[in-house]
Amino acid sequence: MNPAARSPRPYWTALVVPLALYLAVFLVIPFINIIVLSFHTYSPTRIWTSELTTANYVDLLDASFMSVLLRTLRLGLVCTVICMLFGYPLAYFLARAERRVALIGLFFLVMPLMVSAVIRTFGWLVILGRNGLVNGAITAFGLDRLPLLYNETAVVIGLANVFVPFMVLPLMASIERINPALEEAARNLGASWFQTFRRVILPLSLPGLISGCLLVYSAAISAFVVPMLMGGARVRVIGRLIYDQLLISYQWPNASAIATLLVIATTCFAFAVLALMRRSARQEQSA
Amino acid sequence: MNHQMPAFLKPFVLLTYVLLLAPLVIVVAVSFGASPNYQFPPTELSLRWYRAFFGNAEFVRAFFSVSLVLGLLAAIFATLLGTIAAIGLVRFRFRGREALEAFFLAPLFIPEILFGAALYLTYARLGIRPSMTSLLFGHIVVCAPFVIRNVTAGLVGLDPRLEEAGMSLGANRVQAFIKVALPLIQSSIISGFIFAFIISFSDINLALFIAGPNSTTLPVYIFNLLLFEGDPSVAAASTLQILIVGLLIWLVQFLFRPRTFV
Repeated sequence: MNPAARSPRPYWTALVVPLALYLAVFLVIPFINIIVLSFHTYSPTRIWTSELTTANYVDLLDASFMSVLLRTLRLGLVCTVICMLFGYPLAYFLARAERRVALIGLFFLVMPLMVSAVIRTFGWLVILGRNGLVNGAITAFGLDRLPLLYNETAVVIGLANVFVPFMVLPLMASIERINPALEEAARNLGASWFQTFRRVILPLSLPGLISGCLLVYSAAISAFVVPMLMGGARVRVIGRLIYDQLLISYQWPNASAIATLLVIATTCFAFAVLALMRRSARQEQSA
Repeated sequence: MNHQMPAFLKPFVLLTYVLLLAPLVIVVAVSFGASPNYQFPPTELSLRWYRAFFGNAEFVRAFFSVSLVLGLLAAIFATLLGTIAAIGLVRFRFRGREALEAFFLAPLFIPEILFGAALYLTYARLGIRPSMTSLLFGHIVVCAPFVIRNVTAGLVGLDPRLEEAGMSLGANRVQAFIKVALPLIQSSIISGFIFAFIISFSDINLALFIAGPNSTTLPVYIFNLLLFEGDPSVAAASTLQILIVGLLIWLVQFLFRPRTFV
């Protein structure tokens, strides 16, 4: 890189100040506030008092929260595995397809991602609903309607559908960096496509795969709209719990404690993703 | 390289696309049907749900007076803040530059429901009523990283010698940047702006927490109707959203060919 491009003149730094200040006020302070609030005492009359306590965290050890937590983590895991199964072949295809095909493929991947999650969930409600597409087909054959919605399977279908692009995009970037000559060399040396995949492509695409998994997992365990619309009252997950505690039962300190735990978990994931992205960017530069 | 792909790959990729796009296709199809029961495929074509949508003042308000306006405002502010910050990040090497970049991109990785909850509690503590303005402040935070990503990519790909040429012709650094570099990264800035608009326009998680009663956005309105089983005018509104988002993404992709998407 040309050193002149990065002039060490101090006035350039002033440029980053407005956004840094803005984020300090509207991002950092709210999160500090939520952490502070999680150590305050709940009061039925005043919502919270300023007495400090760890009760909000201790309260989380009860069985009902644990069952919600475990369900959330389990659904997140299943969703991540499904995204991996569908996302990996798609990422490989897009990374190796010719340019025109890849552009069209990318359009149909990014477009659904950018449409509101509510609308994509709405589509699934029409497909799986009581009078929906699938049940319409079933009843046409004279069979009884199936309860396809408002259970964990429905939530997993909805989540996987919404988050599969989060798996494909980092994975695709990772696979694109693998020199196709490596694959050809493996094939010429007699490896089957499966051996080539297992020994060459998979190990080299691991940073993208891990990034994708972390992105999908942290999005899935904090999802709220999809579980609410497709899971109904039966499938309670952490996102739903935070929403109810905040806006319906006004248990703000308790909700803050749950949110704080989720913030810590997802921040760890985010740092891992950033570190992986940096590492592969550096490898690309040095290569 | 197509010959190297195993035979099962293409059908599987096709299936993935069918699953990915099925919900959208069905929403669009239902919106043009005449049946009030979300019938698919529609047996009779009709625009009655579009008439129902445009006849519903609240719905139209959520779409045109709240979501569209909010999206444009959020995109304008995010583009201003983000472009300026991206220039600072790329053009200056200083201690903690990587950490600062991570900080700027952090909203991409923070689940929106947590950010929504955090903003909701902060506003509540300060006694600020939820309104369109309070939602706008939140949207700018989540939109800015998309501008940063696009503009950073544009700037990194720029040959610094172009500006040096400008400077050797007598322009100072700032003039050289404005006259030479800025026009060249115009398309990156525009795609950042478009992405910022879409993020705000599609957002539901933040809006559920911090949109006030008078600033119900389109996704929130749709969400509420879905909870209480609305009629297919929901599908009509959704189709309009899909159309707008689809056109904008198409515009970005085929006009500007950005390097980064998300």
